[in-house]
Amino acid sequence: MLEFQSAGLAYGGIKALEAIDLSIQPGEQVCLIGPSGAGKSSLLGLMNGRLAATSGAVLLDGKNLGELSGKNLKQVRSSIAWVPQDLGLVPNLRVNQNVACGRAARKGLAGLLKSLLVMGKGEKEEIAALLKRVGIKEKIFTRVDHLSGGQRQRVAIARALYQDPQIILADEPVSAVDPERAKSLVELLTNLAREEKKTLVMSLHDVGLARRFFDRVIGMREGRIVLDGRPDDIGVEELYRLD
Amino acid sequence: MRRRWFFLGGVLLFFMGLWVLEARPGELVPNEGGRTVAGDFFKAAFQPAVNFEDPEMQSGEVSFFEKLGKALWLTVRYALVAMSLALVIGIVGGVLGSRAWWSRPNLFLQVLRIGVRLLATAVRSVHELMWALLFLSAIGTSPLAAVFAMALPYGGTLAKVFSELLDEGESSAAEVIRVSGGGGFTAFFAGVVTSALPDLATYALYRLECAIRSSAVLGFVGIPTLGYEIKTAYEDGHYREIWTYLYALLVLVVFFEWWGAKVRSQLMNGVAARRVMEGDCSLASLWKARGRSWFLRASVVLLLFGVTAGWLVEDKWGAGVSWEQRMRNLDRFTDEIVPFPVREADGDWGEFGPWFEEKMSDGGTKAVWRTFHLGTAAILLAGIVALVGVRFAARTLVSSSPRGVREGNSRHRELLALLLRGGSMLARAMPEYILAFLLLRVFGPTVWALIFALAIHNAGILLRLGAEVIDNTSSQASSVILAQGGSRSSAFVGALLPVGFNRLVLFLFYRWESCIREATVLGMLGVSSLGFLISDAKVSFFYDEMLLWVGLGAGLVFLGDLTSDLVRHKLRGKTS
Repeated sequence: MLEFQSAGLAYGGIKALEAIDLSIQPGEQVCLIGPSGAGKSSLLGLMNGRLAATSGAVLLDGKNLGELSGKNLKQVRSSIAWVPQDLGLVPNLRVNQNVACGRAARKGLAGLLKSLLVMGKGEKEEIAALLKRVGIKEKIFTRVDHLSGGQRQRVAIARALYQDPQIILADEPVSAVDPERAKSLVELLTNLAREEKKTLVMSLHDVGLARRFFDRVIGMREGRIVLDGRPDDIGVEELYRLD
Repeated sequence: MRRRWFFLGGVLLFFMGLWVLEARPGELVPNEGGRTVAGDFFKAAFQPAVNFEDPEMQSGEVSFFEKLGKALWLTVRYALVAMSLALVIGIVGGVLGSRAWWSRPNLFLQVLRIGVRLLATAVRSVHELMWALLFLSAIGTSPLAAVFAMALPYGGTLAKVFSELLDEGESSAAEVIRVSGGGGFTAFFAGVVTSALPDLATYALYRLECAIRSSAVLGFVGIPTLGYEIKTAYEDGHYREIWTYLYALLVLVVFFEWWGAKVRSQLMNGVAARRVMEGDCSLASLWKARGRSWFLRASVVLLLFGVTAGWLVEDKWGAGVSWEQRMRNLDRFTDEIVPFPVREADGDWGEFGPWFEEKMSDGGTKAVWRTFHLGTAAILLAGIVALVGVRFAARTLVSSSPRGVREGNSRHRELLALLLRGGSMLARAMPEYILAFLLLRVFGPTVWALIFALAIHNAGILLRLGAEVIDNTSSQASSVILAQGGSRSSAFVGALLPVGFNRLVLFLFYRWESCIREATVLGMLGVSSLGFLISDAKVSFFYDEMLLWVGLGAGLVFLGDLTSDLVRHKLRGKTS
């Protein structure tokens, strides 16, 4: 379980997040929604310990992320996948090599180098099966910079799943694609996360997608949570008013 | 307004440079002897030798082409071997000097990182020809000395550029790996190195092309590469042979430039995968159809073969001189580099100050000043030539539809552009030192020869880079000017130049730094500057003085390097 206990975040005196209290249960599908600068990315940053809370605490299964360091922090992080806004792919590597990076923590440097240079048959097959689920198996040996925007997003999703995490954090992963493609990608990621019983926390701009595909919607504005509940319990107007 | 001041400052600095260098306009026209030499020399360009010009040599055991082939192979071999060493230095220095490597910087690591970068800059501040002189003086002639002389400054340059490229390669891919618990090393190799790899390989290949030019130039200090053959052919008055060597060098350098460009293009863009049969999605078929480049594979194999052969073929890296003898040479050298008055006073370094002051007032200050102005005047001249040339060489300005606006037939413009691009390629391929050597024979012992040699080579480089900048500049304003009936020159001056200006200045500073570096050695050809003092001290076996002048030259290049870095850093923010 992911738990925020009055967690706040400030950069040089400017408050990005103010005393957030929040808990996310395993397997929940949560959408963060709100205008730019509302604090969505900062909240995601606290969830995988990329950022450390400047007040309060963020706990994952009872462990305070802010107090972890070294091996313990790495171990916790290996159970959290992250899909950043720009997807974080290496453009001049092939799809299978990028996906293999999902297990960087588990493999260690030598194992990852082996995967990058001479990937074994078993690993290729495992990645191929995963890519089939995201719909781009035929691109397994294609360089990422030869793919379309939508295909790259699928690679990033496959990399996150390959990590086999408890939690997937996705920071506006569909901000740069057209509405139709955004819908199919959000649908894909939420379905896969549900099938695999993973917790999914995704930040989005699109209220319609948030209402349609998630169990829970958290609305943010100026570093505070202003709405939190099931999509059906929150009025459409309330959501649109966030922008 | 700023651009105007920049131009004005440049023109003033150029004329001030000519005044300091005592470059008289009258010396621009060679005297009668020079004109005869020039006439004979350029006439020979149309009849390159296919055999020795000396009839006695024709009946010798070795044919002319065997000699040429051996010189070419040695030139390539020393370049390959030196680059293999330089790569090791470059990779270690580049990684240790990059911010991306030290993911959690503390004060100690910051100092270490900056220390590595400064060391790389210091090592590359000494020109390879100077390193060669130092090594040859210290341990005597040997192929290994020549190889180290190239490997050190090239290693320093690679380290500096590699660390910059690695820092630019720091991406969110590395961050994703780090945040997923992958650790700093893994994130660095899988996220940073992989991203930067095409740029790292491309730059290393570019340096290999430069190493071939340097290897040829090392012939002028006695290493039997192409430069050595050019020098001896000149001394014998065999101009046709010189042209054969020059053409061979041009072909070699142009080949490596073409090769590097092709490798770069394939590394950057990759090779598209072939289509598989409809419905066949087996891993084996997909693997077979993946994009792969035989050209890249063959290139790697050839390079590995070349480097291995380069190391193994030589059986006398030490030129047959015993280790004991080398050590004795080194002992003597290390004794004699201590300033004479310090030696006389039994190691009292208090004597260094007066000696240094005497040497500086005796010509040192003047030589430093002249070297600075030689490099600066040459790069300004190159900049002006390139700026004018870019207007006529940029593809998007010479086509029949410049900047997308139909203008009609422009075959003569395209021909001129082709000639300019070809000329720029030849100018780039010709090492400044060899150009200066030949021009000094035409103009006589005047500084103009050195200014022109530096300017020709650098104008070639700037013309190419400038044309790329203009071709890649997207400016609707230029199309508007053309559509309203304005000329191509108006579109260039009114729209393209203002947009691309900072980038062009960036390149000018990048080349200025290397012009200063070259200027420190060109004086060795006999024109008063630091290089002249260095070769004078070497001939007289005054190693203490020689080291002083080398150190001053390195200091000047070091300052030029830092200034150029600072200016480029400032400009880079304004070009993106």
